[in-house]
Amino acid sequence: MPDTLRQNLKLSDTARQDARDKVSGEGPFAGDITLPGMLEARLLRSPHAHARIIAIDTSRAEAVEGVRLVATGRDLGLLKQTTYGNWVHDQPVICTDRVRFEGDVVAAVVAVDETTAFRAMELIHVSYQLLPPVMDIHEARSDAAPELFDQKHPNVPMKLGRDTRTANEPAKNVLFSYDFEDGDIDAVEAGAAHVFTDRFHFSRIGHFYMEPWICVAQQLTDRIELWSCNQDPFVLRQDLSELFGLPEGHFRVRTAYVGGGFGGKSYCKHEPLAVLLTMLANAPVRLLMTLDESMLTLSQHDGDLVLTTSVDAQGKLLSRRTEIDLNGGAYADASAQVCARAAYRSSGPYRWQAYHAHSRVIRTTTIPAGSYRGMGGTQASYASESQIDMIARRIGMDPIAFRRLNLIPPGEPFKDGDSKVDADFAEGLDRVVSDLRHVDVPTDGPWAHGKGFAIGLKDGGSFGRLGKATVKVTTDGRVLVLCGAIEIGQGATTVISGLVADVLKVPREWVRYAAIDTDVTPFDQGTHASCATTLTGNAVWRAAQKLRGEILELAAGELDCAAADLDLREWKVTGKGLSLDLKELVRKKFGRFGFELSADGFVQYPKEADAPFGAKHLYWMPHWVGVSLSVDRETGEIHINDLVTGVDAGHTLHPGGVRGQDEGGTLVALAQTLFEEITYNEEDELAVPTPLDYRVARASDLPDRYQSFILEQGMGPGPMGAKGVGEAGMLGVSAAVANAIEDATGVRLTSLPFTPEKVLAALDAAAE
Amino acid sequence: MSDLIALKFRLNGVGRTAAVEPQVMLADLLREQLGEIDVRVSCDQGVCGVCTVLVDGIPTTSCLTPAFLVADREVTTVKGLSGNATGLTDVQQAFIACSAFQCGYCTPGMVVSATALLAEHPSPDRQTIRDWLDANVCRCTGYQTIIEAIEMVAAQRQAQAQTTTAEAAD
Repeated sequence: MPDTLRQNLKLSDTARQDARDKVSGEGPFAGDITLPGMLEARLLRSPHAHARIIAIDTSRAEAVEGVRLVATGRDLGLLKQTTYGNWVHDQPVICTDRVRFEGDVVAAVVAVDETTAFRAMELIHVSYQLLPPVMDIHEARSDAAPELFDQKHPNVPMKLGRDTRTANEPAKNVLFSYDFEDGDIDAVEAGAAHVFTDRFHFSRIGHFYMEPWICVAQQLTDRIELWSCNQDPFVLRQDLSELFGLPEGHFRVRTAYVGGGFGGKSYCKHEPLAVLLTMLANAPVRLLMTLDESMLTLSQHDGDLVLTTSVDAQGKLLSRRTEIDLNGGAYADASAQVCARAAYRSSGPYRWQAYHAHSRVIRTTTIPAGSYRGMGGTQASYASESQIDMIARRIGMDPIAFRRLNLIPPGEPFKDGDSKVDADFAEGLDRVVSDLRHVDVPTDGPWAHGKGFAIGLKDGGSFGRLGKATVKVTTDGRVLVLCGAIEIGQGATTVISGLVADVLKVPREWVRYAAIDTDVTPFDQGTHASCATTLTGNAVWRAAQKLRGEILELAAGELDCAAADLDLREWKVTGKGLSLDLKELVRKKFGRFGFELSADGFVQYPKEADAPFGAKHLYWMPHWVGVSLSVDRETGEIHINDLVTGVDAGHTLHPGGVRGQDEGGTLVALAQTLFEEITYNEEDELAVPTPLDYRVARASDLPDRYQSFILEQGMGPGPMGAKGVGEAGMLGVSAAVANAIEDATGVRLTSLPFTPEKVLAALDAAAE
Repeated sequence: MSDLIALKFRLNGVGRTAAVEPQVMLADLLREQLGEIDVRVSCDQGVCGVCTVLVDGIPTTSCLTPAFLVADREVTTVKGLSGNATGLTDVQQAFIACSAFQCGYCTPGMVVSATALLAEHPSPDRQTIRDWLDANVCRCTGYQTIIEAIEMVAAQRQAQAQTTTAEAAD
């Protein structure tokens, strides 16, 4: 099979590693796991946004035949800590005294089957004393608003780098604050030709991953085993260990394919409750949510962003002040990270003499917000790229020329102490400008036509991240790669197996990606921040290279020559007119019963106090967007005529995978821009409580013409210059559409989503 | 509880019998009772299309179809499309060639819908494909690669048909 061997990996015509499992429906996903005697758990959730729990009567539910137990906040005795969360541990495993959003968990029923559990759930009676809800961030900061928590929580301070301060729970209903002050901004502003302040509102959407959230847990004689849809099995193991006061090794977390996450399956969710229920029931328990409930588990952050930007008379950007308030919802989850990153990233791909950013997470009685594909970069890119366009128009410059004048060139640090920019922002900008097609549309009638562009930007994470991997080869020459990158749809198994095949020069069909199991998988900090290729990929690449080197050394010893003279291909060592088969070699060395040759790989990016985030960011992930649209001035409808988006893969390891990340993210972002939104009604109830009410993008929402492209600028830190692209698609769309609407109508929309109602209101306001 | 309803039907070409309560949905019968894990469930409200199977060739949301309704009918899940245990249909192969899936959770329903679409419209235009695919939500791909996969199959089948006709003419 020499045609499947590649010197310089590019899997352009190869199927994904998980292809057969997925197109045949075989999986497995966690929901396919059935254990003998497995019970079904279902959760009773609060119908109120904010209330005190006065009493819970579970007696009628417990009397239902087939009900094993009903757990409430009274049953937390097995836990050492009863709350969890990132940085601030404020989310109760099950509510004890108060509910803080519609959907907060007040009881769990464990029964022989789902139907029995649902029937019993209806018989639980909870007495609530209603408390005033706090539905948005302005209300939450008002004097009249109630405190959502009676006390501060156990927490971990977030230590970052230079010129940065963070604080957990610094003020009333404030979960977290972040401040970064780089440069003497007052002096810079004083010398500026113009200073502009603009306010933007970012909406929030749900993750809407198609595999509803699930955890299957079982109590073994002396440990707990979990099957989970969580993308962070080792982080989860650590959280469970702390919550239950048991050693990490007490928990064995296993992960199958994960049916989409987009951030919603990161970090600890309701796994501690599943573990508690299996311990109480002393039987395997499956906690399977409906998709409605999955939507209640986590959301994106809505928020307000105020940017004050100064510019000189020639159109050079000088300084920016960023003020961001994000709606963190009821509990912490990963809000603190999103908050810090949104603030830092709001400087966009531009050079500044001074940049100050202040951001806060405000608590409200709404769905908890946390990681969402884009992780603050979406909010930041939307506001920043909107304002850049507005400023260009105000000072009479072409928005493209204005951007070009101010872009950070490749090789220059993003900010002092941070990593060098490893993308050519100008190249991608030129490409979207040239690829956006002229659309022949009627100029009469109500339609106004316009074009808009944006460069969304986010980094690929920091915090001194690491990757670890083991590659081993059986006596018969088949390869097993062990690492903790979860296959969540992004194609991690394809890219990683491909890298190993490439280094070891074996057909990719000979490489198997090992199942994820915290007992045997090398440690991993979580499949996050679009880093499977960059971090885990590098570790795997190193392991494979080391293994190749060791095999050649071994062969050199047997053949009595230098390893450098030998080549290895499909497990035949050749060179100097000699040839040796791997199987022969292993048998010769280790005997009749064979051996597994193996090697480990490890990478860690160091912490650095001089870096604003305490470590250099791994890489830079731009999203170039060009959009041509028409606005119906009579109905406010927006029609996308042409859409062009692009990403920088550094070096493409799997074109289908890269393209899919961009296009998939882009369509979600386009839906958020035009219609998709989580909203509450005037009675403070969720207005979109089910998938029937909640509108996501369908095939008909795809623009008539949409072309995506991949640049390979070759500067990424991953294997062969590769880098991640997983979150890029979310970043540039909203601003590009806002910019195009202004181009078409002269009206600027600053509050997502840009529904026909909002477009009409803005047109009417401008006409007055 | 309620009385069980006994039914016979064909599942992926094999005769099956089952006894179900009237409120049991087809998806639950297939997944929970008969172990057909290739039938996946997401919204459980008939709006996402993940659980789509064919009932007498018609794409059907199995999460909203009472199981007793398939008595004496032919039910085909994604696993049954190829007609043999190991093979893949041209639709499945096109999904692979076009990378028309990512997480794979919606894929069984998507493949079933695409198969039914091509049976009904051998050469669908883009609008027809979009209209049909509106019954299935995919949160990963942005749909474009799925549409391309369907177009690829239509083109392949057309080319094959032309070859067959040409051979017959010879």
